[in-house]
Amino acid sequence: MAFLIRTIDFTAAGRELIRERTLDQDSLTIGRAAECDIHLPDLAVEQRHVALTRQADGTLAARALGTLEFGLDGRMLTEARIDPRTGGEIALGAARLAISRESDGRVLITIRQVAAEEGKGDVLRSFALASVLPSKRAMSWIFAGAILLLLLAVPVTSHLVRSPAKPDPEGMTPGQVLFDRAWISGDLSVRHQSLANNCESCHVKAFESVQDETCIACHEETGDHAKMPRLAQGMPPLSAGDALQWRIATSLGKEGPLGCVACHSEHEGAVRQQPASEAFCADCHRDLKTRLTDTALANAHDFGKAHPQFRPLYFASFGAARPVRASLDTRPLERSGLKFPHDVHMNPRGGAARMAVSLAQYGKPLECSDCHSLTADRIGFGEVEMEEDCEACHSLVSGRTAAGGFAKLRHGDIKHLAEDLARIGTGRRPALAPGRSRPGQLGSGGGYAADFGRPVRAYIGLSNALSEGGICTECHLPTRGRTGQADLIPVNLPDRFLTRGYFNHEAHKQEKCTSCHAATTSKLASDLLIPDLASCRECHRGASAAKTKKIVPSECAMCHAYHLPAGQWQPKGKAPHYRPLPPPPESGKASSVVAALARPARK
Amino acid sequence: MASAAKQRRAQAGPGRFSQDERRRDSDHVSFLKHRRFRWLWIALGLSAAAIIGYALIDQEPRPNGGSWYGYTLGTIGLALIVWLSLLGVRKRRITPGAWSLKAWTSAHVYLGLALIVIGTLHTGFQIGWNVHTLAYVLMLLVIASGIYGVIAYATLPPALSANRREMTRAQMLEALGAIDRQLEAAAQPLGRAEADLVIAALGQDPFAGGPLARLTGRYPFCATARALKGLDQVGSADPGAAERVRALLEKRREQLAQIRGALRIRALLEIWLFVHVPLTIALLAALTAHVISVFYYW
Repeated sequence: MAFLIRTIDFTAAGRELIRERTLDQDSLTIGRAAECDIHLPDLAVEQRHVALTRQADGTLAARALGTLEFGLDGRMLTEARIDPRTGGEIALGAARLAISRESDGRVLITIRQVAAEEGKGDVLRSFALASVLPSKRAMSWIFAGAILLLLLAVPVTSHLVRSPAKPDPEGMTPGQVLFDRAWISGDLSVRHQSLANNCESCHVKAFESVQDETCIACHEETGDHAKMPRLAQGMPPLSAGDALQWRIATSLGKEGPLGCVACHSEHEGAVRQQPASEAFCADCHRDLKTRLTDTALANAHDFGKAHPQFRPLYFASFGAARPVRASLDTRPLERSGLKFPHDVHMNPRGGAARMAVSLAQYGKPLECSDCHSLTADRIGFGEVEMEEDCEACHSLVSGRTAAGGFAKLRHGDIKHLAEDLARIGTGRRPALAPGRSRPGQLGSGGGYAADFGRPVRAYIGLSNALSEGGICTECHLPTRGRTGQADLIPVNLPDRFLTRGYFNHEAHKQEKCTSCHAATTSKLASDLLIPDLASCRECHRGASAAKTKKIVPSECAMCHAYHLPAGQWQPKGKAPHYRPLPPPPESGKASSVVAALARPARK
Repeated sequence: MASAAKQRRAQAGPGRFSQDERRRDSDHVSFLKHRRFRWLWIALGLSAAAIIGYALIDQEPRPNGGSWYGYTLGTIGLALIVWLSLLGVRKRRITPGAWSLKAWTSAHVYLGLALIVIGTLHTGFQIGWNVHTLAYVLMLLVIASGIYGVIAYATLPPALSANRREMTRAQMLEALGAIDRQLEAAAQPLGRAEADLVIAALGQDPFAGGPLARLTGRYPFCATARALKGLDQVGSADPGAAERVRALLEKRREQLAQIRGALRIRALLEIWLFVHVPLTIALLAALTAHVISVFYYW
């Protein structure tokens, strides 16, 4: 058994020097001592450091002879077994002894010196993850820089430098501020969606809350609930917490609890403006009179418990220029200028019913809807028209026309009536005898005399019609004009009776008209058939009432709107949620509130 | 004299002993259990208070960061985030005292977790594509990476220790170098094709591979594995030498596996900081944009 020791050295010039020797023994020692079989002149090596002994199975047993370990394949050991067939490398100081097996069975030990590794620390640094990732600092700068640039610097700069876009409810004008869409704090309400790309239409100045004037620039038709000083006076004092909040908010430019945005909070999602709650109204109206002592409004806070009696608008005297209001508790008498006993028309066995049964267009006793028709918005009822609603029974037919039809008196204007009556006198009548003229035709009482004589008949007819017992006074009240001529009292009925609240007839269609309106027992047109508070309260109670099959908890907003003029709150369907009032009638001195049911009987 | 010394001892003795005892105790208590979970309880209290307030205070028309409660939560959240991010400054200033780094770290972890509650309630659960939600999401990512970090620090070090098998990192590289030198010698008799496989294996940097390879421990391009596979396919002129090379390549692969194991555990231990730190800075930037934008378009 033999070891082949091969030593590889380098000359100063870098040339390799290879020396070989053979040790024919079964074990050998390695160390700094000269007597060792392998002598390593290195202070890091012990005098006698390692012994290698051949084992029966052909492997080598390596054993540290002193206390110092030796390196084998990178590990520090005191004892090890090395198989020359697979090899191994012993490290002692700077020397590396590679052990392998020659083809002839000898164990080859190749000794070479390794240069001290420099920059080992750098290699060890490769163990850290940082060696394969960009530095945390660089990533931080990039992320933070990108965010600050795109989401702060660009919008602010473009807001300061560019001239702002005008508000455009159509949504055709995009804003001039770049990337400010990323600042949106929540979806805009349904009606403001078109402004989503034009932030500066509302956010006019930097660091300034949205101002009322900005809102009003578009919503110019929105009226005040009341004038600002009165609103402020009517408001209850704020709680300490609210007062503190508003003190902070107003010091930062908010317009206080009476500003638009105090209630109309935006960016609350794609929702519709919700009606004000009962509590919101009650805040002020519960005890409004204690603060606004001169107000005409009674205190109210809960429809079921504290709501004043209705005060409908009506005409208190014949031909009055303006309607007045009075509480239904005072049993007001309406002076509309009409004669109309509802009970006669409503009685299912009366004359009116008989007549209706005999007419093809009714065929049965009269119902309310035979005379009253819902308006297109299904909320209120339109005017009753003589021609449409009354004339089927109350005929104004005056004779036959030449074409074979019926001539009738026109309704609505006394001038027309006079013309129509005059025409009756001059109408074509049958010849007394065919083909021949007879003397006396021009005599008094004859047709000619009627045509060319003094218009006595027409005037008598007109006067008869307008006087007590005449055809007009079936429904109208006679009076005398300025010059003493026969005339009728003009018909005055308000467009709406309850002008500060809204009533939707469509929503009540499961009820009979007569369960609220006392029409079946009303004998006179002076009865004001507007239902009172008690009849509404049969079903409607305050918002806090328990909902049952019969009881409907009712918020203030069910009948009232905050902004004036406004219409009824529409909880469903398309916007606008408040349906505005119908436009005022074009003619007459009657205001939008006042309109004649039948147009004034004369101009 | 003697009585004075005795007196001094009486004063100093028990106090110092208990002080030392306390220090020794605290030295071995994890920052998570610091002072019997003091900061956990504070964080839980803060979260509970925020939730109760959110549930009880009626926010009209809907809970919102812009209500007074929203502003309150937002202010608390902002202060917390700024303070939490100052841990990076605090840990670089080595100071003794009541505000020990351990207490600070404990508070950092638990108050950071409380921020999930406070931040979420501040949003009023309104999420959108905007700078506000960006800040919120960044905050959640930072917290999530922090949670991962705490778990990693609690569970991975034993694995790192086990993988070392009493070798230092330098020794692992040294071992690889030793194997490489033997491989080079042993491969001398091999033919061209086999020699090329060995050259490729020796030439490959043991640290080759990106962050993904490090995290997963999968190195599909490993030249050593490829060389082993290649040796099986290429018929060798010298089966003895090929066998030796194969054995050495096997050893090399094992050594590489240990190094890569260390790399993997190190990567798993460190990766969270590469999310946590840059996203914290990004979060501070997003918060700045969030706060300024909210009041710019007030």
